Amino acid sequence: MTPDLFARPEGRSSPAASGLDRRSFLGAGACGAAVPLLGPVSADAQAAAPPDIRQPLDLTLTINGRDHRLALDARTTLLDALRERIGLTGTKKGCDQGQCGACTVLLDGTRVLSCLTLAAMAEGREVTTIEGLAGPDGTLHPMQQAFVDHDAFQCGYCTPGQILSAVACVNEGHANDPAQIREYMSGNLCRCAAYPNIVAAVEQAKAEMGA
Amino acid sequence: MSAAAPEPKANMGRPEPRLDARLKVTGEARYPSDMPVGHPAHAVLVTSSIARGRLAGLDTAAARAVPGVIEIFTAENTRELKHLDYVPGGGGPSTSVQELGPEIAHDGQIIAMVVAETLEAAREAAHAVKASYDRQDPSATFDSAGVEEKPAGKEFPKAGDAEAALAAAEVTIAAEYGTPTQHHNAIELFTTTCVWDGDRLTVHEPSQFVYGLKNALAARLAMDPAKIHVVSPYVGGAFGAKAQMTPRTALVAFAAKTLGRPVKLVASRDQGFTIATYRAETRHRIRLGARRDGKIVAYTHEGREVTSRPDAYKVAGVSDTVRLYDFGTVATHVSVVHADRNTPGFMRSPPVVPYVYALESAMDELAVRLGMDPVELRRVNDVTRDTVSGKMWTSRSLMKCYDEAAAAFGWADHKPEPGAMRDGDWLIGWGCATACYPTHLGATAARVRLLPSGEVRVQVAAHDIGTGAYTVIGQQAAERLGVPLAAVTVELGDSDLPPGPVAGGSNTTASVCSAVIKACDAIREKLLRAASTSNEGPLAGRSPAELSFTDGRAVATDGAAESIADVMQRLGTAAIEEYAEYLPPGAPADGLRRLYGGKAVLTGGPHGEKIMYALGAEFVEVRVHARTREVRVPRAVGAFAGGRIMNTRTARSQLMGGMIWGIGSALHEATEIDRREARYINDNIAEYLIPVNADVPSIEVIMVPEEDAEVNPAGVKGLGELANVGTAAAIANAVYHATGRRIRDLPIRIEDLLA
Repeated sequence: MTPDLFARPEGRSSPAASGLDRRSFLGAGACGAAVPLLGPVSADAQAAAPPDIRQPLDLTLTINGRDHRLALDARTTLLDALRERIGLTGTKKGCDQGQCGACTVLLDGTRVLSCLTLAAMAEGREVTTIEGLAGPDGTLHPMQQAFVDHDAFQCGYCTPGQILSAVACVNEGHANDPAQIREYMSGNLCRCAAYPNIVAAVEQAKAEMGA
Repeated sequence: MSAAAPEPKANMGRPEPRLDARLKVTGEARYPSDMPVGHPAHAVLVTSSIARGRLAGLDTAAARAVPGVIEIFTAENTRELKHLDYVPGGGGPSTSVQELGPEIAHDGQIIAMVVAETLEAAREAAHAVKASYDRQDPSATFDSAGVEEKPAGKEFPKAGDAEAALAAAEVTIAAEYGTPTQHHNAIELFTTTCVWDGDRLTVHEPSQFVYGLKNALAARLAMDPAKIHVVSPYVGGAFGAKAQMTPRTALVAFAAKTLGRPVKLVASRDQGFTIATYRAETRHRIRLGARRDGKIVAYTHEGREVTSRPDAYKVAGVSDTVRLYDFGTVATHVSVVHADRNTPGFMRSPPVVPYVYALESAMDELAVRLGMDPVELRRVNDVTRDTVSGKMWTSRSLMKCYDEAAAAFGWADHKPEPGAMRDGDWLIGWGCATACYPTHLGATAARVRLLPSGEVRVQVAAHDIGTGAYTVIGQQAAERLGVPLAAVTVELGDSDLPPGPVAGGSNTTASVCSAVIKACDAIREKLLRAASTSNEGPLAGRSPAELSFTDGRAVATDGAAESIADVMQRLGTAAIEEYAEYLPPGAPADGLRRLYGGKAVLTGGPHGEKIMYALGAEFVEVRVHARTREVRVPRAVGAFAGGRIMNTRTARSQLMGGMIWGIGSALHEATEIDRREARYINDNIAEYLIPVNADVPSIEVIMVPEEDAEVNPAGVKGLGELANVGTAAAIANAVYHATGRRIRDLPIRIEDLLA
């Protein structure tokens, strides 16, 4: 199971109240499950002592076609690596627990929630963020243009995640009619509720994407 | 024109795409937590796990031992921060509970803040902070032991003898309604980044009122507000939650000062439920008396609202509901119930969402009792002179809205008997209700600069929280100066600009456009005088009254024209810049000074010489599955009149989003409370349900042309908080029509229909 790194400190189930210390839980219980995700750790090391999760991992992440060499705390999510270490802040944090879709990026073309993806899991794979969608000359991707044309946002905060999710939705073949688009875009919350405009944008872009 | 960009009708501006659209689809729009600051330390909050009592101990030893931890801020080492009195209203503190203990006044109160080199270390250390408490049993909400109930004011709207009128009425109904706790849950989290440069502080925080935040923060830090710069060009949803200063801001500023480096806080989703405000639960008892022909003779409304133990926040929406119809007689009362909760605050249409839901449900119950069409009931009781104050309305297009929406919806085919419109396993119900929102006006300043090239820059510390403010303010300047919108740059959300109003009460467009008109007119006058009083040039000797501006030129009625560049050359100037202030009627004479000091100054609604409201009518179809009792809303039609519409695209989007908020209010949203611990149970956006794309098949928005020269110079009433009012009542009324079940407590869930 994935360690619960994101639970509320103290408030929900304080260590004192529950008798379970989250640190020891993470260190002893969840590490065996976490290790296979981390790649560089050898099988021998896994069998011996658990590795120190605080030791930086040397990683190379390929984002929008460009390599970034980083030394990251093993617990760093792809979302936090993008925003706090690489400076690509187009990817948004809306809940940090896989509920809102604002952090959606493409990993080898598949939409994933970057808040539930450890940065280490993205090594050796192609990450596409909102900053990598427009052409080199600044021409907007058909999905970006469609979002502009149909006013498919208000505050704009969920928009990068919506757009990447929408690109994947079309490429998956899940944009065949409005009902299907609504269903397959329901993992991306929009509190301003631009939903009908988002559906119209996906329909327009689908035609232009030739999917 | 696509559905998103409706053709403008009379008194409506063009559906220009948003000026910030490209930035928002490319990820280039920088929200406050996106701003690059040098080498920030990362902060994580620790919050209380009891709702009432005292912090007996806070063991930070294990947390301090986590590698990378720099400092842990607690009540002990933050005593320098000043306490501010709670004042409900934009700009001030959101709560009296500002200290980190030892007194604990609500669940999820901030008790410590860990600052570390990395977010990962800060999070680990925050989990290692161990609190112990002297716990007392908290009072959670209505009917909990230990709550204190008090009248929410001294006087409430009243007209005539409602009790006598009720006693004599031919038909009466009495019913009780309830609305739940709701949280804004903007997708952007509550974030604060503070950077000191010597004795100057820059604050990156999403805000609906940067001048308010600047001044309130200065008071907590005991420093000169002129040395604080609040930067908030984009806000990732606000809905009222970012209008006041929450306790986190001063804490982050203090930490950054103490540590001598930038500190960045991104509070977690669940913490957002307790470190900021929310819409409190309400209860209502309504009685209506009427003649058999539907004319209402009496309306009584008793409202009760929950608030925190120390702060008497209230919405008291009877001030608005009493305006809606010609009631004959009125009696109202509102009380607040103090419980051990965080202090509630503004949430989109604060007074009218719960109170209009209750009234519009009662109106439907009365229509059923009378055997009368609910639209006709509204028509019979339409009003021109206010029942309570005797004031006239500036304009009122309610029945036009009803007629247009009813026609588009197909209301003529309505079969009023419950269950009469079944489609296989689906029970179909139709319902309607009124939407209303008071027209507010805020004191504001604005600065406009015109260059010879025709480029225009508008600067005002107003806020675009997704409303389209950048765009409509730009359109106003472009229209007034006769230049294309592409030539206009608008700067907002920065406390170094002239002050703008709080982005609350739907006043921004009306207020800021009124100030922009004033500044632009001053520029026009300078230019026209230069063009017409000159001894040479194509417009020499003309009267300024016969000149206007179009396409970057001053043009006379006979077609003679001179370009802005030539007129400015004649003036010998390279730029004309005008600063203007707009002080709405009824505002205190020192309103602008107050605004500079961070106090929101709002007037309007029922408080001026005339009654000013935007109105609308909403019709919905619900389908309730006969076996599972699942409720769906396959379609909704709303027609709205809000004075001048600046931009039919952004207006439609706001109204559409509002109606979807109404669907959420009716069927999805409720913060569940553990009554023993006074704790929010579903404090995340998987379990706090908000509408998703699959919940919203078809929303039709109709904008009804309306001209109102009396409301303000811009003729604008404001739309942001209109369309989410009434929707929940329309849906509840439709559920009754489908099933014969009158559900009076929101939200309406499957379990309410199963019994």
